Amino acid sequence: MSDTARGVDISVGLFILLGLVSVIFLVSQSLGASDISGNASYTLHAKFDHIGDLKIRAPVALAGVTIGRVSRISVDPDEFRATVDLRIDSRFSQLPVDTFASIATAGIFGGKYIDLSPGGDDMVLQDDDELEFTQSAILLENLIGKFMLNTKGEPTE
Amino acid sequence: MTILSHQASANLIEIRDVSYRRGKRAIFDGLNLCIPRGSVGAIMGPSGTGKTTLLNLITGQLQPDAGAVLYKGRIVCPCSRRRLYKTRRQIGVLFQHGALLTNLSVFENVAFPLRAHTRLPEQLIRQIVLMRLHSVGLRAAWQKMPSQLSGGMARRVGLARALVMDPQLIVYDEPFAGLDPIAIGAILRLIRQTNDVLGITSIVVTHDVEEARMLADLIFLIADGKVVAQGTPERIKRDDSPVVKQFMSGLADGPVPFHYPGPSYAEQLQAMAAA
Amino acid sequence: MSTLVRNSWSRFSEFAATFGGFQMFSFRLLPYLPAALLKPRLITEQIYAIGVLSLVLTMFGGFFVGTVLALQSYGTLVEFGQVDSLGAFAAEALVRELGPVVAALLFAGRAGSAVASELGLMRATDQIAAIELMAVDPVERIVVPRFIAGMISVPLLAAIFCAVGMLGVYLVGVHLLGVDGGAFWTHIHDRVDLYEDLGSGMLKSFVFGVSASLMGVYEGFYAAPTPAGVSRAATRTVVITSVWILLFDFILTGISLPGV
Repeated sequence: MSDTARGVDISVGLFILLGLVSVIFLVSQSLGASDISGNASYTLHAKFDHIGDLKIRAPVALAGVTIGRVSRISVDPDEFRATVDLRIDSRFSQLPVDTFASIATAGIFGGKYIDLSPGGDDMVLQDDDELEFTQSAILLENLIGKFMLNTKGEPTE
Repeated sequence: MTILSHQASANLIEIRDVSYRRGKRAIFDGLNLCIPRGSVGAIMGPSGTGKTTLLNLITGQLQPDAGAVLYKGRIVCPCSRRRLYKTRRQIGVLFQHGALLTNLSVFENVAFPLRAHTRLPEQLIRQIVLMRLHSVGLRAAWQKMPSQLSGGMARRVGLARALVMDPQLIVYDEPFAGLDPIAIGAILRLIRQTNDVLGITSIVVTHDVEEARMLADLIFLIADGKVVAQGTPERIKRDDSPVVKQFMSGLADGPVPFHYPGPSYAEQLQAMAAA
Repeated sequence: MSTLVRNSWSRFSEFAATFGGFQMFSFRLLPYLPAALLKPRLITEQIYAIGVLSLVLTMFGGFFVGTVLALQSYGTLVEFGQVDSLGAFAAEALVRELGPVVAALLFAGRAGSAVASELGLMRATDQIAAIELMAVDPVERIVVPRFIAGMISVPLLAAIFCAVGMLGVYLVGVHLLGVDGGAFWTHIHDRVDLYEDLGSGMLKSFVFGVSASLMGVYEGFYAAPTPAGVSRAATRTVVITSVWILLFDFILTGISLPGV
């Protein structure tokens, strides 16, 4: 009688174990997990006129490789611009102060991310510095408007 | 909480002027009956007179609309859940088919009340359970599952379980229904022996006239929501009233009619021809 | 016409009454929950009956939903040149929606109806009455362990469903359709968000688990004590649970989407 009871206990234990393993697997596959894995990092700020649909935890890429994440998005009440905080892995602490940050789109349907193009200055950005050179997100409506303006020579009704 | 007169406590169960309705139907209307301590009482009646309802009133599963059901002089219901459970621990019930818990073995079924209400060590539980199983003749079947038992065996296990907490009152709901004569004989013997040897009180709800005659000290015949006859088996046998006679002699027609009530034969044929 | 109105009204009031009774029952369960956690034996047995025995079905379902998802989305993604995102796309769909919903629906069908039938049968064979008459509370002893077991099992089953689903997507996507393996996993990393996607998926499956368990034990416990009543309880459980799962899914998806 206690044999079946032990069998039940073992199966239940395995079941719960399997469930937890699945959860851990799924967690490991999702972004935001490396945030938790506590690599040393430092924060840079960048101000944009428009961020489009950039979201928190969007990648920050250097030469197309993810080196950090967007950690905070807020609005500056004085300048009326958006302030984006970038958490960069400390391994990439040699970014020049004239590094250019732009909001790019990954593919046609991809989400927005921050693309960094390094400048040539000798001085490097420290923790809590602000990136001077930024380009806002390109909004589709503006693009279409420009296109129509260019081809017709005058705005259409 | 009130203990009534000393004379009243000679009756373990008293049903006083109890009325109970279900929907529009009055199942009981001014029912009166008393079961003296230490006796075996048989409650009989035509189908649908609410014998099971009566059991539910005695165990406090149902509350009477009027009147009182008294156990040892105290009102059974309404009362707090804790007191109700206390009362129920003194009452053992044997259901029609045993009502064994299907996912537990015979042993575990009988041990169930002990495990739920006492902190007895495993050794002692084992001894008590085996003793009870032995008294119903099923000690060697302790490992079987309820699905492996015959009807009679399941009922006997149910009896062992009902007795395991040493109740003062034990209620049997149709204990002979659907059993072969040997099994009936076994149950009869068990009921009588248990009652006398353990000095408890028993109430048997049954249809079976012969078995009731052999078994009971007092018979109560219930019809139309009231007790229409009560007394010792000999007295009931000599009772000449039509209701009692029809039931006890098994007559097909009488106060309980054979034909389902409705229009006369001629009327119905004419109505169907016209339609 | 008036019979139609009368019928609809009686149906509706029956539904409302059941719903009210259902709420009362849920509140009745609450005080037992902390105490029940002290009796792990009963809960473990129920997790076995409910969770472990649903495992094969769930893994089977997860795997094939994953493969179908991969096959279906491949066609559309190829058109837009986004084939490398196959893994990400499928993972997001699985974790957010398909995992919690389908796993819960499978659970309702297999375990929910089993629990309802079991309790209904106990009701019909007087076992519940016997327990009550032995001065043991049947809710504490029979109902609550099954409820807790369901509450624990469903999120676990949903997670297993998603994980096995991803395996299915991988096998079909990479080995059958030729999607690049490295890109497959990288894109998933970039797209599936821990809190938004996995978090909302787990929240959903928890809500579904509570609902499915609750409805199964409720229908079974209050089933009519006849064979017809038992089978009715089982059917109603599956139907009502499925409806509520889909309803909750809509509500929870609607709430979580605008949020950042």
